[in-house]
Amino acid sequence: MIGESTPGRRRTIGVIFGGRSLEHDVSVVSGLQILHAIDPQQFSPLPVYIDQQGRWWVGDDLWQTSSFKGGGPDRARLTEVILAASYGTSALRPVEGGLARSPRTLAVDAFVPVLHGTFGEDGCVQGLLEMSGCAYVGSGVLASAVGMNKRVTKIVALHAGVPVVPWLSCERTVLEEGNAWLQDLPTRVHDRLGWPVIVKPCSLGSSAGVTTARSPDELVAGVLRVFEYDLEALVEPFITNRLELNVAVAGLDPPVASVTEMPVTTQTSPLSFSEKYKRQGRKSVGSSEGMAGALRVLDPDSLSSELRARAQRYATTVFQAIRGEGISRIDFLIDADDGELYFNEINTLPGSLAFYLWSAAPHYWTITELLARLIERAERVQAVKRGLQRTPPAELRLLT
Amino acid sequence: MSSVWPWTIASVVACAYLVWRRLLAYLRYLQQEGYEAWRFLRWTHVRSLADPALWLSIAAAVLFLRAPVSATVTFGLGAVLFGIAQPDPRRTGKIPLRLTWRATRILAVAAILAAASWALLFRAAPPGATLAPLVASSVLFAGLPLVLIAANALLAPYEHRVQHRYEVEAAARLQAVSPLVIGITGSYGKSSTKAMLAHILQFDAPTLAASGSINTLMGVTRHIREELVSGHKFMIVEMGAFRPGSIRRLCQLTPPRAGLITAVGDMHLERFGSLDNIVKAKSELAQATPPGGYLAVNADSPAALRIAQGATHCRVLLYGQTSTEDLVTRIEQLRFSKEGTTFALRTKERVYSCFTPLLGRPIILNLAGAFTMATALDVDPDLAVAAMRTLKPLTNRLEVVEEGGVTWVRDAYNSNQFGFRAALEVAAALPAGRRFIATPGVIALGREQFEVNRTLAREAAAVCDRTLVVSDTNKSAFQAGHKDAGRDDQLVPVFNRSAAFRWLRENVKNGDLVILENDLPDLYEESSGVFWKASKRAAAERR
Repeated sequence: MIGESTPGRRRTIGVIFGGRSLEHDVSVVSGLQILHAIDPQQFSPLPVYIDQQGRWWVGDDLWQTSSFKGGGPDRARLTEVILAASYGTSALRPVEGGLARSPRTLAVDAFVPVLHGTFGEDGCVQGLLEMSGCAYVGSGVLASAVGMNKRVTKIVALHAGVPVVPWLSCERTVLEEGNAWLQDLPTRVHDRLGWPVIVKPCSLGSSAGVTTARSPDELVAGVLRVFEYDLEALVEPFITNRLELNVAVAGLDPPVASVTEMPVTTQTSPLSFSEKYKRQGRKSVGSSEGMAGALRVLDPDSLSSELRARAQRYATTVFQAIRGEGISRIDFLIDADDGELYFNEINTLPGSLAFYLWSAAPHYWTITELLARLIERAERVQAVKRGLQRTPPAELRLLT
Repeated sequence: MSSVWPWTIASVVACAYLVWRRLLAYLRYLQQEGYEAWRFLRWTHVRSLADPALWLSIAAAVLFLRAPVSATVTFGLGAVLFGIAQPDPRRTGKIPLRLTWRATRILAVAAILAAASWALLFRAAPPGATLAPLVASSVLFAGLPLVLIAANALLAPYEHRVQHRYEVEAAARLQAVSPLVIGITGSYGKSSTKAMLAHILQFDAPTLAASGSINTLMGVTRHIREELVSGHKFMIVEMGAFRPGSIRRLCQLTPPRAGLITAVGDMHLERFGSLDNIVKAKSELAQATPPGGYLAVNADSPAALRIAQGATHCRVLLYGQTSTEDLVTRIEQLRFSKEGTTFALRTKERVYSCFTPLLGRPIILNLAGAFTMATALDVDPDLAVAAMRTLKPLTNRLEVVEEGGVTWVRDAYNSNQFGFRAALEVAAALPAGRRFIATPGVIALGREQFEVNRTLAREAAAVCDRTLVVSDTNKSAFQAGHKDAGRDDQLVPVFNRSAAFRWLRENVKNGDLVILENDLPDLYEESSGVFWKASKRAAAERR
């Protein structure tokens, strides 16, 4: 019957989470949410956990949040696997050495990376998946790498006609060029941005390493703090009277913007890491829900519908400009003094895949429905890529 | 009698399970004691005689004479229950057991030895003695720590060879990468100074320094093999002195090009016998520093200064605050606030105004040491000063937290008198309505313990409106100290930590300040939770 899932083998969907990044724990929370959201009628979801040392694991214990408390899941009850970079069948291979278990290769039809930050959201894992020829949900190498770098995304957004907050960049290489920057940078900031400013890592998510600086001393300290995490620091003017507005975009044909959301935060500082993920208040649902547990107002009617529509339009524009796929969340800033809307950053693998934005009006998509569509699209994209001509034409065959 | 045997076999299996669990539990402490038999034995003492499993087997043996089957069944069930009740050392405790290859080897050999000793004891019994399994079990439970020691001793030659091979590998790697090695030693402040120096140096060039306090030959060897990569320009090695010669050995593995000596005092006096021997052990670093190499020394510490005076071949850089010596870096204008410490560093050239979010006089002294060494190694002083602003306070290490209008000075991890004084000094400098301190005092000072706590109590009475002395350990010393100060009425003895918190909840008001100084239950933690899970309440109290 048309419309019903075909009986027979359900496709195995590997949900990759954890990872060697600051946002390991956030990714575990997101990953488990997505794992449980995949339609079990249609698919057979497989949890694939990357630990903080970068080793990959599969096993039944990975389904439960409780396994991750304390020192992480008991490795003795898991099987270590690798995804080989060699091109071919999409599968996870057990690492040899297990005594009790016979090594069995796990064929995986498509992967859903739910990794945040370094090595997962920046194109690294996407590169590995491309090398081995796997279908995967979400942005590819290009969009992930561009989206991870806030400075490059700003340039792309500007070029696409989306306003951004002005910025100054400071690369870690200044440390090798003597101490002149200790005076030069504050002067440049003073002349071009004014005080106070926000200092943030150029390619980290989750507000880690973000500080506000009101003086040259605090600026230099903020930049040094960034250099503990990243190779480049971005300095932006601090918009005193600011509001934040986020929109998710799903890479369907054509891309669709979700409703807008306004994260509820203290107005004086940007949403900090602990507020985003650890805030425990009367209204909050607690840390175990990750981004889905943060405080927010959906489709805020305190903002004009024109402004909300503009945010959705800009979000789609930026998403397309970087060649996004899957689900991205695009974050904006509103200067409440003049009502100006600025693109702030794009998260190509947002916390909880921003599922809370899709089940809200007007889409009424559950994340389960959306994931099914995105998996299908990922499989199609990979099939198209596999069909691309890879045999060298005669003029490039030099060794025959 | 023949009907007992099937039960016996079942209970032997249960016993084997419990022996396995117990071996894991003991192994955790053997590992913590660095696989050193004597240190492990000192910890073990007569602990295995307190093992309920021993008493279970003895009780079962007695019962066996009257009702063999029920005795055997009781023993089997009891063994399973005890095995389940025992916390898993791989997951519990302050330092969980890490099943490294070495630990696994010891465990495997110990398991074989345990089985063999049980079998020998069983065989030694007269033929047909059905009591034999229970007797063998009780002897085995009493002697389990010895079984681990025997396994460790059997493996010693092998481990020695492995360790030697690792050292050769580490030395080769170090030679290939050839970073500038800075050795740090002292009785107090090694880890903190190392962390601060690494923090500053990382902004100049890639720097390797172990997090935590890796300071033994084995630890440093492993750290080099796992973490040192081409490109590292600096490597900071913390050098612990466990006995004369241990720093010399470390210096052979990682020859330092510069050395830093923090405060030298009578910590671990019991290991060395005298302060002279401690000074001798610490000066091994100065001796290993090459001619013309930098040796930064805390001149406020008389014993450290003695080492500096003996190191005529080095370029000695003295730092400090109160010393009358001619200092390279001198701390001035120290001021504490809730945000951190503001101070100035006077060098030969200039005075640098500094700020750091960290608190406490000893910490600033360590920071001055890190600054002295970093600038000697050509780090721009302005960069070093800027880096101080980005140091992060550590939880429970003189950390100031505001909660509901009350200022908490959390210093639970400190355990020595200098840290105690530093916390009092910071608390005195912070604005507060009333000041309270909750502390069990400090321990492990041998004969000095009473007098040191008495002095601390006197000083606490001068700063605080009320002193809550937790537990009986140092109660009389605190009473004496408060009597000296004429403040008997200010002392509130409490039974334990939760009683202290109960008292504080009832008495602390908006605008008050509370110092939580030293966490005695934490110090005693290692003695609980070997055979039984620590109760929820005890666990909560520890938190």
